[in-house]
Order: sequence, then C-alpha cells, then structure tokens
Amino acid sequence: MAGHGEKNRPTKRHKSSAKEDHHRNASAVEEDHYFGEEIDEDARDADKEGKKRDFTKLELKPDHANRPLWACADGRIFLETFSTLYKQAYDFLIAIAEPVCRPESMHEYNLTPHSLYAAVSVGLDTDTIVNVLNKLSKTKLPKDMKDFIYASTANYGKVKLVLKKNRYFVESPFPEVLKTLLKDEAISRARISSEGSHGNDSFTICKTMGDIPSGHDELLDGIESAAAAEEKETHSFEIDPSQVENVKERCLPNHLNFPMLEEYDFRNDTVNPDLNMELKPQAQPRPYQEKSLSKMFGNGRARSGIIVLPCGAGKSLVGVSAACRIRKSCLCLATNAVSVDQWAFQFKLWSTIREDQICRFTSDSKERFRGNAGVVVTTYNMVAFGGKRSEESEKIIEEIRNREWGLLLMDEVHVVPAHMFRKVISITKSHCKLGLTATLVREDERITDLNFLIGPKLYEANWLDLVKGGFIANVQCAEVWCPMTKEFFAEYLKKENSKRKQALYVMNPNKFRACEFLIRFHEQQRGDKIIVFADNLFALTEYAMKLRKPMIYGATSHSERTSILEKFKLSRDVNTIFLSKVGDNSIDIPEANVIIQISSHAGSRRQEAQRLGRILRAKGRLQDRMAGGKEEYNAFFYSLVSTDTQEMYYSTKRQQFLIDQGYSFKVITSLPPPDSGADLSYHSRDDQMQLLNKVLNAGDDMVGLEQLEEDADDIALQKARRTMGSMSAMSGASGMVYMEYNTGKGKHSGQGQAKSKPKDPSKRHFLFKKRFT
Amino acid sequence: MVNATKGLLISCDIPMAQFIINLNATRPASQKFIIHVLDNTHIFVQPHMAEMIRSAIAEFRDLNSYEKPA
Repeated sequence: MAGHGEKNRPTKRHKSSAKEDHHRNASAVEEDHYFGEEIDEDARDADKEGKKRDFTKLELKPDHANRPLWACADGRIFLETFSTLYKQAYDFLIAIAEPVCRPESMHEYNLTPHSLYAAVSVGLDTDTIVNVLNKLSKTKLPKDMKDFIYASTANYGKVKLVLKKNRYFVESPFPEVLKTLLKDEAISRARISSEGSHGNDSFTICKTMGDIPSGHDELLDGIESAAAAEEKETHSFEIDPSQVENVKERCLPNHLNFPMLEEYDFRNDTVNPDLNMELKPQAQPRPYQEKSLSKMFGNGRARSGIIVLPCGAGKSLVGVSAACRIRKSCLCLATNAVSVDQWAFQFKLWSTIREDQICRFTSDSKERFRGNAGVVVTTYNMVAFGGKRSEESEKIIEEIRNREWGLLLMDEVHVVPAHMFRKVISITKSHCKLGLTATLVREDERITDLNFLIGPKLYEANWLDLVKGGFIANVQCAEVWCPMTKEFFAEYLKKENSKRKQALYVMNPNKFRACEFLIRFHEQQRGDKIIVFADNLFALTEYAMKLRKPMIYGATSHSERTSILEKFKLSRDVNTIFLSKVGDNSIDIPEANVIIQISSHAGSRRQEAQRLGRILRAKGRLQDRMAGGKEEYNAFFYSLVSTDTQEMYYSTKRQQFLIDQGYSFKVITSLPPPDSGADLSYHSRDDQMQLLNKVLNAGDDMVGLEQLEEDADDIALQKARRTMGSMSAMSGASGMVYMEYNTGKGKHSGQGQAKSKPKDPSKRHFLFKKRFT
Repeated sequence: MVNATKGLLISCDIPMAQFIINLNATRPASQKFIIHVLDNTHIFVQPHMAEMIRSAIAEFRDLNSYEKPA
C-alpha cells in the first residue's frame, strides 16, 4: 500500500526521466502483486497498467492539506486518518466504498459496484456521492472515477420493493423505470392490477417523506440538504407475493439491472400484531451501534442488510435494538444451541420482553410459541433441515413457516452457505432481514451472494477506532516461532509421513513447551483466563491430558459443555480450557483474555479473526484501557508456529484479515526461555522420542482434522491446502464423523435418555441422513 | 595413512541439517553428496554441491511462505 501512496503525489521531474522511472516502478508493482507471473509481460500491458497508476496529471487543489482523501482513477481511495476531517470522511467512505486495508495512519478503500449499491440503498444519491467525494479529495476527482460512479449507480436505488399491509409493491419515483420493468414478461405476469385502473401504464401515486438527511449533507451546501428533505412523489404497482422471488431475481444486475431495495414500512403495518417490547433504560447503545442502527432505519422504514461489527463489540445489542424498534414478531437465527441460549438471554437482558413471549427452538428444547407475537430463537440447521422431523418440531416449524415475521435476525451470516440461506429465506416470510457478522470474509468468495440474499452491507466498524475508544480490548498479537526438534523434523520430511505432517508439527515438543510456559506464566503471574485452541483432535487430547486441563470438542455433550464453561467462568481453579474448533464462533466467554493457538484450520482468515474475537470483549476499567492508561494491552493472542513447516505458510495467510484491520503481529523467537529446563514437559530426549512414537503410531483417523457439519469453508480450503487429510477421511469414512455421535454419549448415559439417540439428524454424515429418522 | 578429501563444510541450524540429510537420502546411491555428518549443525559435503543445496532450500522455504496476492 505504501508503494502506491508514494506514486499519487505529483512529481515535477523531467518528462523522459519520469517516464523511465515510472516504468521501473510499474514493473516493481507487477512483481509485488502478481508473483508467479512473468515480470516482463508484453510492454503494452505494462503501459496500460502504467497509465492507470500515473497520477502526475492530477491537479492538487490549493488547500489540499486540509482535505483527507487521495482518489485514484482506478477506483482506489486513500484516507489519511490524521486529518481533522477523518471522522466525517470515514463515515462517508465506509458507506460508499469497500475497506481494503486499515492500518493506523492510512486507510485504503475500493469503490466497487456492490459498495455503491450499498451506498444508494442507505439513501445516498449519485450526485451526493460525487460531490462529497470531490469536496474531500485533495485532487480534482478523476474523470474515470466520476464516470464509474455514474455508470454504476445509474440504475441503483430507482426501484424499491415495499411490503405494505402485507402486500408487496414495486415502488419508484420514476414512472419510466417501472414501465421498463413491466416490459419484462416475468414481472408483468407477477403484477396484480388494482381494480380502479385498467391501463397498464397507470401507477399508484403517493407521497412519502424524503430521506432524513444523513449527516453527510453537512458537508454540502445547505440548499441540497433542504431539497432532500422535501416530499417526493412515488409511483408503484403491486405484485403477487408468491412471485416476489422471481421479480427480485429479474431485477438483478445480470438481467434488467435495476436491483431492488427492500424496505419495510413497519409503522404503518396494521396487519401484523405489535410485540410489546422496548429497550430497557440501562441499555445504552454506543455511538457506533447507534450509527449502524441509523443506517438501517434511515427514513423511518427498516432496510434489509448486513451490519459488520468486530466480535465483542456488542452485536447482540444491535440486534435486540433493531427488534425493539420494529416491535413485531422476530425470528432470530444462530449457529448452534449454545448461542441460541445466549441470544435468548440477551433479549431478556436488554429488552422488556416477557418470559412467555420468547421461546427457543433447538433439538434439546422445543418451547412452543404462544400468543400472537413474540421472539423465536433457533438455529439455521433446525429451519433448513430437509428430512423428516419429529411430530413436535414439525408443528413448530409449520408455525414458523406460516407466520409473517417482522424481522429476520441472522447471526454470524458469514458461516452459512448460500444454499442454506436460500432455503431459510424461502421458508420464512419476513419483512426485513438483518445479518450480523464480524468477518465478512470467506475463502470461497461466496460473500457476494449475501448482497442479494440479505441485502447490502449497511455499516462496518473500524476495529482500531473501537480499540481506541475503549469499546473492545486492546489485543497484543504474537506469533511464537518454535523450531522443530531434530527427530520430529526428520520424520516430517519423510515422504511416507506426508499424511502425518500436521500431527508432527503440532506435536513438536518445543511447541508444547512454549504452550506450557505461556499457560504457567499467564495463570500464575497475571491471573489470566486462558483458552487454548487446537483443531487437531489428537493434539487437543494429548495437550489437555498432559497438562490436566478440561477440554471441549465436537463430541462433548451440551450439558457437559455448559458445565465446563460455567466452571471456567466462576471457579478460581479452572483457568485454562482447551477448545477444538467448536469454540470458534459465538461461544461467549467474556472472562477469557488470553488465547493460545496451537493448531488451526489451514489458512482460514475467518477462523483467525473469530478466535481473536473470543477475547475482544473489553475488560477492566475504561480509563485503564484508553490510550495512555495503566495497561496498554489487556488481552493476548498467541499463535504457536513450528518454523520451517507448512504452518508458516498458513500462519501468514491467516493473519491477513487482522492485518487489514490494522493489527500487527509481533514475532517471538525465544520461548520458552533457554534456562527453563526440566520444569516443563518433554525436556529429555527420551520423553520426546516417546511422544514421537505416539504420533507415528496413532491411526490415520486420529491425526486428521476434526470434521464438523458447520464447516462450509472446507470445500474452498482444500484448494489452498497442500496435503489433504487421511485416506479414510477422503473416502468419507473418517472415524471422527462417527465420534461425534458415538463416543461421549455412552459415558454420559446418566444424563437422561435424551442423549442416547442421535438428536439432530442434520448433523449426520450426508450418506446416512435419511436413515432412521 | 591419512586421506585428504576436498569438500564443503556446511553449518546451519538443526532443522536445516535434517533437511539436507533427507535430501541426500532421497537421491540414488550414485548421487549422494554427504561425506560426513559431523554433528547436529555441521555437515561435510562434496565441494560442487553448494548451488544445488542452496536452490533446494530456497524452494523448500518458498513453499512455506505466503505472499499476499494482489
């Protein structure tokens, strides 16, 4: 990024020398960015690339020092965070552009058609975007960028899909646009003509309030903001509710290119009963929560979309506040049973909802829904499950299906694969959809699907700003380099051990010692609460047994999980727990402030960010946390990496997301300290050799990765992974799959017969899904 | 009777020494290049092998390092 930052400063060099210099620069850029390709591509390409990156012609405005932006013709925008206008400029940029990289003093953004679609949908019009951008830019706005904005937004935001009194209307201020839409066969078929008017080209006309000026206008002249608040005339026609999905699809950019905005006029909805709930007075939304909600409710209606906030920044309060504002029935979807409990708790904590108005629907607790309005909390799996259900849950699902929901609240939207979303969305009729997530990245670029399935991204917070404000913990990230021991590395290199490579680098005795040292240090010296993450089940059990700490993995039953977490939260004797990847998402452990990661899911950026999220919830007193406070860092994230192995590759890849959020990783090379001898385990060579034998003799199934149903990223990750799992895992016969249901249950037979049968058939291996339901 | 053999002394860290030993082991008998493994971090090899070993190590390291795509 720094490299490009240099280049958009105009230079006054002699022309020929500048050109030569530039050529060199261009090829250097090529080398940086397209590694693996030939550097000396044909000269034309380099030239074209060069023109885009040549900013000498851009004119600096005389008062450029006061303006915070560099806007480049290729759609990239750089923001100086030390500018006095930073706050306003940031709010504006985050609405119109996609953040690429946000380190401390310079942010990089990218204008994309999607981000502009999001901008239009939160109520910014094309001229406002261009004008404000021009005001903030140090140079005159490049013509290419203006053209791009006009071209991309020409059709956006012209058509709205509005649910009014349970009838779907296509609404637009421009009658000609509606006429274009009706020329499409599918849409004209879906139209319901109102009785009075017979002609095809007469639309219902009504007056609505224009958007409430949304803050950016203060940067504009007063006239324009006044105009925006004036009443606007809108034209609309009604469409058949069963055809909504088709109509929406026809309007997408690859067909008619009039993407529809979905809005819900909940105040005028008299058909659906109101739910009497309000935020409790002690629920004080923080400024960024307020802001994200204002994007959602900008014009008195509710917009569908996604809100991105870091883990621990209070996503649930945003969700609950949104539900309280809409005050209609709300369906809340979470990823697993534990987070269902947490969501139900959050609703009771922040809102005045009555106990009987909220119910949980999971495989363990099937609470029936009473009354005419309420909140139902359930999991994606429960709703999307296609097989046969028990009679009891069939009834509940039927109720969910038949009801009209005011708000569909979706937690952790990034983990749910697109087909499951489609299913959930087609099953549930909702007026407004709100997706919440911390990490809008997936290794399989399927994120863009969400734009159309849920809606555009409404708001994304800047992690570093929240850290500075003391809203989330200030985390020290560290990568601990553990050299492989001689024997382990020799085995690692052998061809016949290619399947065990992961087990070998995870079980590296030096890594174990570093882990033990860190646990001791944080437990004894600082009194911290520690989570140790290991994806590799073999390593998880070995580590946890050797160090005598409790662990939770896929097969651990719900009740046992709860009791271990409870002990970890309350007891002073349990300060460390070992988690497999079941702990990645939405297990709320506010007490923990240290994470040690001993093995991980290949190069998944999302997992890294989610794990960091477990400790982001702010701790300690506010004044200590602020810049210059007593404790500069109050949370620690260690990633233990065996050097000279594949883990180095994955580790760097995984960090990218956090680095783009402005975090930096410190590399520690001397852990454990050389003088710590026999205090720590595996000091003697004999012990190490025993461990090595154990690893080498463990069955293929044991050393592989744990398989969970929720891993939707898996497919894409396999491309990035150099070695695959064990042979049996590839053939679909991995023992881990069975372990999820078979082990554990026998041991805990005392916990009631509910545990004796596989509860949720959707968690089964796909081959066996249809069996014994 | 003392025999003098001309060779190359490599000193490196423990894992890299293992890498070189492994490299040597995977080659056919006629192409083996290690004359003697002196200790954990020192190896005595045939004199002309320096470039080959260097490039093999570079390749191995490249495999283990990630570069951010554009």
